[in-house]
Amino acid sequence: MTSLKRTQPTGSDSTNLSSKVYVRTTRAGKVQKIVREVYLRQDIPCSSALCSECSKISTTYARGRAQPPVLAAKPLTSETFSTGHYLVPDTNAVLTGMDLFELESAFKDVIILQTVLEEVKNRSLPLYHRLVALTKNEDKRCYVFFNEFRMETYVVRQTGESINDRNDRAVRRAVQWYKEHLELSVKKKACPAIVMISNDNDCRKKAIAEGLVGLSLSKYVSGLEDADTLLDMVNEGREREDAKTTQENFYPEYYSLSKMTTGVKAGTMHQGTFGVSPFNYLEGTVRVPAFERPLIILGRENSNRAVSGDVAVVEVLPKEQWKTPSSKIVEEETLTKNDNPEAEDGETVISNKERKALQEDVKKAHGTTTEGKPQPTARIVGIIKRNWRQYVGHVDKDSVRTSDKLSRAAQTVFVIPMDKRIPKIRVRTRQAGELLGKRVLITIDSWDRDSRYPVGHFVRSLGELESKGAETEALLLEYDVQYRPFAKSVLDCLPEEGHDWKVPADTSDPGWRDRRDLRDLLVCSIDPPGCVDIDDALHATQLPNGNFAVGVHIADVSNFVKPDTAMDREASMRGTTVYLVDKRIDMLPMLLGTDLCSLKPFVERYAFSVLWELTPEADIVSVDFNKSVIRSRYAFSYEQAQLRIDDASQTDDLTQGMRILLQLSRTLRAKRMAAGALNLASPEVRIETESETSDPIDVKTKQALATNSLVEEFMLLANISVARRVQTAFPQTALLRRHAAPPAANFATLTHQLRVKRGLTLDVSSSKALADSLDTCVSSDSPFFNTLIRILATRCMTAAEYFAAGTLAPAQYRHYGLASEIYTHFTSPIRRYADLAVHRQLAAAIDYAPLAPSLQSRSRLEGVCRNINVRHRNAQFAGRASVEYYVGQALKGRDLIEEGHVMRVFENGVVVFVPRFGIEGLIRLRDMGTPEPVGEFDGEEYVLNVTGSREVRLELFDEVKVRITDEVEESTGKRKVKLGLA
Amino acid sequence: MPLDTSSYSLALLRLDGRRWNELRRIHAVISSQPAADGSSYLEMGNTKVICTVTGPSEQKRTGPQQPTGPTASARIDVEVSVAGFSSVDRKKRSRTDKRTAEMQHILVSALSDIVHTHLYPHSTILISLHVLSLDGGLLAALINASTLALVDAGIPMSDYLVACTTGSTVNNASSRAVPARQTIPGIRSMANEVDDPLLDLNGLEEQDLPFVTVATVGSEKGRVAVCFSETRMMAERLEEMLAVGVDGCQMIRKVLDASVKAHGRRMLDDT
Repeated sequence: MTSLKRTQPTGSDSTNLSSKVYVRTTRAGKVQKIVREVYLRQDIPCSSALCSECSKISTTYARGRAQPPVLAAKPLTSETFSTGHYLVPDTNAVLTGMDLFELESAFKDVIILQTVLEEVKNRSLPLYHRLVALTKNEDKRCYVFFNEFRMETYVVRQTGESINDRNDRAVRRAVQWYKEHLELSVKKKACPAIVMISNDNDCRKKAIAEGLVGLSLSKYVSGLEDADTLLDMVNEGREREDAKTTQENFYPEYYSLSKMTTGVKAGTMHQGTFGVSPFNYLEGTVRVPAFERPLIILGRENSNRAVSGDVAVVEVLPKEQWKTPSSKIVEEETLTKNDNPEAEDGETVISNKERKALQEDVKKAHGTTTEGKPQPTARIVGIIKRNWRQYVGHVDKDSVRTSDKLSRAAQTVFVIPMDKRIPKIRVRTRQAGELLGKRVLITIDSWDRDSRYPVGHFVRSLGELESKGAETEALLLEYDVQYRPFAKSVLDCLPEEGHDWKVPADTSDPGWRDRRDLRDLLVCSIDPPGCVDIDDALHATQLPNGNFAVGVHIADVSNFVKPDTAMDREASMRGTTVYLVDKRIDMLPMLLGTDLCSLKPFVERYAFSVLWELTPEADIVSVDFNKSVIRSRYAFSYEQAQLRIDDASQTDDLTQGMRILLQLSRTLRAKRMAAGALNLASPEVRIETESETSDPIDVKTKQALATNSLVEEFMLLANISVARRVQTAFPQTALLRRHAAPPAANFATLTHQLRVKRGLTLDVSSSKALADSLDTCVSSDSPFFNTLIRILATRCMTAAEYFAAGTLAPAQYRHYGLASEIYTHFTSPIRRYADLAVHRQLAAAIDYAPLAPSLQSRSRLEGVCRNINVRHRNAQFAGRASVEYYVGQALKGRDLIEEGHVMRVFENGVVVFVPRFGIEGLIRLRDMGTPEPVGEFDGEEYVLNVTGSREVRLELFDEVKVRITDEVEESTGKRKVKLGLA
Repeated sequence: MPLDTSSYSLALLRLDGRRWNELRRIHAVISSQPAADGSSYLEMGNTKVICTVTGPSEQKRTGPQQPTGPTASARIDVEVSVAGFSSVDRKKRSRTDKRTAEMQHILVSALSDIVHTHLYPHSTILISLHVLSLDGGLLAALINASTLALVDAGIPMSDYLVACTTGSTVNNASSRAVPARQTIPGIRSMANEVDDPLLDLNGLEEQDLPFVTVATVGSEKGRVAVCFSETRMMAERLEEMLAVGVDGCQMIRKVLDASVKAHGRRMLDDT
């Protein structure tokens, strides 16, 4: 009989075989046993420049890519480690101290073990990505040592040993090996110390028993220079775990994951994203698919440690506990001003003041009519995914014990995030004095049951509050805008010729392949004044048959940004250019955006042209898409173009062309409006700045000229034509943009308000009906009333979004606001990534170039869409926040009386919109007079009757005179626009 | 838990600790079932296959479609059965599984080329393959096991038919290749990701990466007899992958050859 026994691997073989067997549970709850092979080897280098052995391990395996040693021969020294040291952090140290490891000044020569890398990956994907990015940073000298594949450092899990213990042992084994390995080639005295960093006491003890050096993260940091600053960055929550004693728990425990999954499946629980009301920090909502209206979450106990943005699981409360949405303004700052950040004891989850604020709502729960009816109220029973990010905020002055700058005593302070929906964060710091009055960046580490507020740690200081630099950076961080300069690998993708790049003169050049020569056309561009990234240009001529030849020419960015290059990846990540008042954060490097791609006048540029033949009634006879070369004749600003068109003495062909365009655009607009396109309004203002210092001096509302709408109409036409073409060519993967019809429930409040206050009806059955009924919303006494209603209606809409055609049924492609069956973005490839992707798809559709694989895969495209949707929204928010900040700056030191309109009425105040500055602000009862007047609120009629020190009747939609001043906020020292009744 | 295939660029080590050009452990036994005419047992990593050869035996069925006359040669039948317990989740494969049928067909046509079937007219050679454990490179393992069993059965063939799989670390979606005609002078494309061809993929890698099964006949580069892929890949990568695959086949050929010779020596010693 032949035996089936395995032949033993021969000794000369450098690999050895082991196997990994583990059990995992699938999402469906099935238990699987996985068997994997592991080939153990001896040729994994230690990568120290000191080691003579490992440099011999040839890198032939790497196909000629020699890998120089990563760890320096002369690593950083410190008092404790005079011969220098290499760091080996364990998983917990990485998880808690990622911000520290990313420091430029310290933490060099770090050995990241494979064990640690894998564990980090399982625990937190974002941290894993940061860690991998760290290993690619050459300055940090970070080396990933694949200890699990090296024979000497591979550790077999023993029976009865927990996986964590095994991993700890693997880390210690690797440290030991490094120590012994380096001592082979370096004399013992000169050998750098291998320092294990672990926050686990037990593991450290074992390491010391084995003759290794083991330090906790804070111990190690305190041995460094600049220890005080660095100690603040040690993650608070996880460090404390060691010393935690059982305390009173403030919050109910979360349900187990399996209980939640079963609950959600059975329909007894619901999953959704938790959002906090901007007016009342104690009230949140969770929108779940099962209900048309969002569920209300009231109070701290029910919101159970969820932070705005988290994905949570909720359980609906019994009907008798249902409440109405609050009609009161509740601000965290005022209610919890006196909380002591240091002491936990004696606190209850809901302080008396908070309880009182909530009590008012319970009273309301027995309201009678439709609007005052209690709504389904729920409580949070668990969190599926934390969406914590880094938050920008400032240290609460009242929570600081000693503001002595020299004091290095650690104290716990509150940081109040800029975003009002995020609770205060408890941060332990040694530099409280210095941080006062600064914008700081912090992260939340944890929120345990026994802590009323989340615990976080300080990341870095952005600079003085109110300083332009700090506030701008704060904005960018808050909206996650990538504002770092472009990396070298990105800039390497630019054409070598730089600014000297020209369209090749020789038409046989490959760049001219399949391009139409449109240099003879009288093309011009019309943009806002001072625009440098010119995406689009237009032309029009009359044809002999009475029709018009019209062309829209878009910068051919896809010619310069090739798919899947570093530049493409960067652009796809940035998603969009962000426009702030004083700054532009480009999606593409300057060279492309403002020069090579920009359709500047008088020079030849590559373009992607959409050419139509239109009848005088603006019906499309034919459309043609072409890569082309154009030469713009002039770059107009909107005003210039308007003046030129209006000037009857100008009769040259270019002006005539513009007149044709204007004529056609009016027809197009009329047709669009007839089809039910919405004319929505959002408060838009322009900041006038001093040319030298760019300090804001005045605020103007934007004016719309006929030429604005001229450009807009043709861009819409081009986008729609392209969308049709791309969708036909790629029914699965075309990148389109849609705007879903808002559910009627969104308008319920506004409809009710209009009916009660003005006797007007809002028909929301279709976009056409809505457009028509919005037109009827006029008030004889206030011309602004219509705009106000449009602003409010806009807020009831859903957001438009990008999507891949295959993910939805064609009926859902519709763009509600534009009343178009299909829509995409094509006309601004310099500043939006979606347009760039659509350019590539259109180029493939007309057989100009093959389609990149990334645009063929639907799943990849969905990823791109998700990202650009978020980036697009964030860019809008950042832009608005920037305007808001500058409006505040422009109003500095002024005292004005302006006209305002009541937008919302609360029990203890009103929200007023001031059209002149595009600001909306709160006027609370206590702002109206001292002592605080008494307010009598009628939720049915939206009236607040103020009596007492001030007598006034405030009604919804009323015009009021508002006094605008700025005041310095006491707790923060921050200047804030303050509104009051005149 | 191991990292996924995207971590390859960190240390140029694969999920199971191999380099790009390393095979998994191969363990081959000939005459594993002495009762059969020819048999073999082959392990390539955790892929385990038993093969038995029955025949050449007289053809029982003589349907009208069977060629008759002096030119008629032996027919090769292949039966592949994948055990329900072979992969992580137990699942029953139907007899009419299309993928199995395709593999059977590939085996039949590849083996018919190298086996001297004309020596056995009007007869059938039945090759039954049983997959006990499945961890990537199934078709390659089936081909190698059949070759060994045919050798054991003493059926004349022109040379070993050996196979292995080869893949590429860059999968379709993230490849950065710019087709040549599209490149425009002055624009350099950046390569900072590692794109290596990989030899002998395991099951996990097969799920993630594009791969081809290559089989060759003969030593010194030999001749490619089978080239089969079920995944999409960039055409530019194929050449490199094939070159690595052909080299891999040579390595496997040496292993198989050694085990055949060892078996031969044992037979001589026994007699």
